[in-house]
Amino acid sequence: MRSRFNLWIVLLLITGMVLAACGGGATSPEPAVEQPAAQEQAAQEQPAQAAEAPATAPAEASAPVDANALPRDETLYYNGFQWGPVVGWNPYSNSNNNGMAIAQQDNARVTMFETPYLYNMLDGKQYPLLADGDWSWNEDRTEITFKIKPAARWSDGTPVTAEDVAYTWATHVKYETAIGAANKAYIDTIEAVDPQTVVIKAKLDENGRAVNPLIVQAYLSSYYVIQKAWTQKLEERSGGDPTKLMADPAEDVVYSGPYGKFFADDTKVVLVRNDNYWGQDPSMWGKLPAPKYLAHTIFKDNAAGTTALAAGEVDVSQQFNSNVQDLWEKQNLPISTYLPDPPYHIGASLPTAFYNLKAPGLDQVCIRKAIAIAVDYRAIVANAMTNQSATFEQVPRSLMNPTPFEQALYNREAVRELQWVGNDIEGAKKLLDDCGVVDTDGDGWREYNGEKLSYVATCPNGWSDWQAAIEIVAAAGKEIGIDITTNFPEWSVYQTVVTKSDTPLPPGYEIFMMWSAGAGPTQPWGRIRNLLSSEWIGLPSNWSGNWGQYSNPEVDDLLAKIPHETDEAKLKEMYTRLVEIYLTDVPSFTLMYRPQNFHTVNESVWTNFPHEGDGTNPPVPPLNLTDGWSIAGLYNLTLVEP
Amino acid sequence: MKGYTRYFLVKFGWFLVTFVFAFVLNFTLPRLMPGDPVAAIVARQAQGMSNPTGVQAIYQQYTELFGTNRPIIEQFFIYVRNVFRGDFGFSFSQYPRTVAEVIGASIGWTLILQFPAILVGWILGNVLGAMAAYLKGGFDKMVMPTALFLSSFPAFGMAIILLVIFAVQLKWLPTSGGYGYNLIPSLTPTFLWSAFVHYQLPFWSIVLIAIGGQAIGMRSMSIYELNADYVKFARFMGIKDDKIVAYVFRNAMLPQVTGLALSIGTMVGGALIAEIVFSYPGLGTTLLNGIMGQDYPLISAATLIITFMVLTAFFILEIVYGLIDPRIKAAQSD
Repeated sequence: MRSRFNLWIVLLLITGMVLAACGGGATSPEPAVEQPAAQEQAAQEQPAQAAEAPATAPAEASAPVDANALPRDETLYYNGFQWGPVVGWNPYSNSNNNGMAIAQQDNARVTMFETPYLYNMLDGKQYPLLADGDWSWNEDRTEITFKIKPAARWSDGTPVTAEDVAYTWATHVKYETAIGAANKAYIDTIEAVDPQTVVIKAKLDENGRAVNPLIVQAYLSSYYVIQKAWTQKLEERSGGDPTKLMADPAEDVVYSGPYGKFFADDTKVVLVRNDNYWGQDPSMWGKLPAPKYLAHTIFKDNAAGTTALAAGEVDVSQQFNSNVQDLWEKQNLPISTYLPDPPYHIGASLPTAFYNLKAPGLDQVCIRKAIAIAVDYRAIVANAMTNQSATFEQVPRSLMNPTPFEQALYNREAVRELQWVGNDIEGAKKLLDDCGVVDTDGDGWREYNGEKLSYVATCPNGWSDWQAAIEIVAAAGKEIGIDITTNFPEWSVYQTVVTKSDTPLPPGYEIFMMWSAGAGPTQPWGRIRNLLSSEWIGLPSNWSGNWGQYSNPEVDDLLAKIPHETDEAKLKEMYTRLVEIYLTDVPSFTLMYRPQNFHTVNESVWTNFPHEGDGTNPPVPPLNLTDGWSIAGLYNLTLVEP
Repeated sequence: MKGYTRYFLVKFGWFLVTFVFAFVLNFTLPRLMPGDPVAAIVARQAQGMSNPTGVQAIYQQYTELFGTNRPIIEQFFIYVRNVFRGDFGFSFSQYPRTVAEVIGASIGWTLILQFPAILVGWILGNVLGAMAAYLKGGFDKMVMPTALFLSSFPAFGMAIILLVIFAVQLKWLPTSGGYGYNLIPSLTPTFLWSAFVHYQLPFWSIVLIAIGGQAIGMRSMSIYELNADYVKFARFMGIKDDKIVAYVFRNAMLPQVTGLALSIGTMVGGALIAEIVFSYPGLGTTLLNGIMGQDYPLISAATLIITFMVLTAFFILEIVYGLIDPRIKAAQSD
């Protein structure tokens, strides 16, 4: 009996230990909670901003009761922007991967750092943010002048000046940041004429013209203005070493945007509103954005993100939610997309299958075109994209994304004959027969120059939508007597092979998928350049495009002319010609349309998200209230239960 | 004691030799993977860049920074020198964070999940196994098949079953994460409770499997010991039952201690599956992401930690064996 009693004592002890262990788990060695910088600064800034700030509640009044929790009705939750722990807050470096705060590109993310202008992908225009009024070219189109808004302030309360804009550029060039390296061939200097006036001087070519006026004007809405005083502090602590400067996590960075850092660890990142944000001045928004916090949980994959969206733990979803319509049609959740019906989103990029133009047979237009017209794109849209892409019947094939702005840039009638919609097996067979690519030995596969046509179609492993699309390409080949098999290497291997443009592509990469540029102020010129320009051939590390290494002097010539052309009729003519060449030569073929951002919202807490025909003017684009003009959407949000 | 010193030195020698081999492999193996990790970093940098020479400049900057442009032998010696200074360098996938920072942020979660889980699983398993052997009858008939059933589960199977039953179907516990999505880590009761709730499923998914394996081992050893001559003799001598049980338990424990040392040694890698299934922040998840991102320095450092822990656990075990069981020392010192 006693031994049994002893055993029960042991069991009891163990149970106690389990509980103790669990308790130990709860007190995990977490990083200390960051003091919300914005609130600290808010306290310091009070005198400077008091006169301008409207009579809204001060930061303290709306602070949560438990300083460490994020009240649901004050927080807007995101997914799809941040897939790994945040490594820093430094706007000089793109490798400070901070999905909610830093993305300097066509639709720069402007939650924390701000650009002079905001690009709106729906109408292709740039609207002033830090800038006061529109920018203007001088007569020769060699200099752009714009002014800074007198109300614009940094988070430390000091004014944003033209000198900040000039110093930001000078720093990019001096330390050869990605932005400096990308633009210094097109921008010569950025100068502060007076505290408010900025002049951007373009690099000139041998004829005294700007090398590329399009890229110069794109700078205005693509890159952040960074404070000169803070930059100097950063330079000092990095001792003039560019690597150190860019690697600095910049926890103390001064910013001008409506949000600043609140918290970041390996599981999430949270931004907090700066309640003294200058943008509440009547010269800009006239009020503060609605949510106090922007929070982003780091999910391990799309499936985890979709579960959280359905559970109401995510308000705004920038990720591919497979069969998104099921969320409202079958599960009756208050979830919606920008468009109520397929394709649900506004397409803005063209995921494309490239041909290795050096592969035997793929140097022949008729073989390339036969494969391209045989592919069942409707199946790709339905299966790979679960209808979250326009079909090629809805938006006929060209080099333009489906936004009305880009679609209006070319003459559809002139190329209608060339715009195939796919699944044209008979047409493809006839094309091959007509150019003499036939099955001579009766094995079911066609030959070219006596050799059986056999290719491998490739895309990265685990990219399920791309893999489904590539399978459909392979199936099309089999239908027309061309043996196409698939291969899915890991992304780390794939990208190394595809981006090496100074050597021919190895076997196994005869047909392969890559992305294309989205919407932006240099588009569609930039996208067409990426798809077709021969300037990318010969680079040991080519991330720009034309991975199949297509070369056509007429295309290169048109690409060189477009940035200088201001006559809309002539531009349309040139774009139409480019589309015509693309559809005739078929160096690559688009498989689907993809949105710039997936924009799916759960309206159980917040509502009034942008959607088609919501009456906003200018229209707020479906870029999740963070990118370019879409930041305007943050000011329109309201609570479902106020 | 002279014999023991010799035993100790031999063991230590082997420990060092193994460590050097493991060290070289830790460095070499990740770097044999095809692909170029620097290209991936450049990909991040180059998004939206329109100038080809600009991309080249960035690429060169990073190959120089990470030293991937140097011969692998030279990289190795730089690595050795840095490791001895305690510097594992920058993480490729989370640059500009250092490997030390990345591991530091995640290893706490892993230790706090794994260490109690291993201990609890080990203790519960051994107690149940010993009880099954001692009590026999109905208890044994119940424990034995359950233990067999549990221990034969693959770790991910157990994790997914718990996830589906308790999180997805019953909705008693959260599906993923280390704490609530709407919280910031702090020492408030709300956060502690949330962390406790999130801890349950990954913890039990490890414990349940561990219990099974330990119980089976302990039961067999105990049955063997219970039938040993000394037990019969002790009973014959009229020694009390709990005294005998204590002897049996102690003798049966020896191989179980080996198991415990091993589990603790492999703890960091062992957390991988529970961490991945439950998106629990920890070194397992970090290591997996490092492998996907070809993060050589991170992979090398993490595997080095695992190697070092396993080797140390074994080394300590051997030394302790030498002390507690003279036969082992005697047999191996010859």
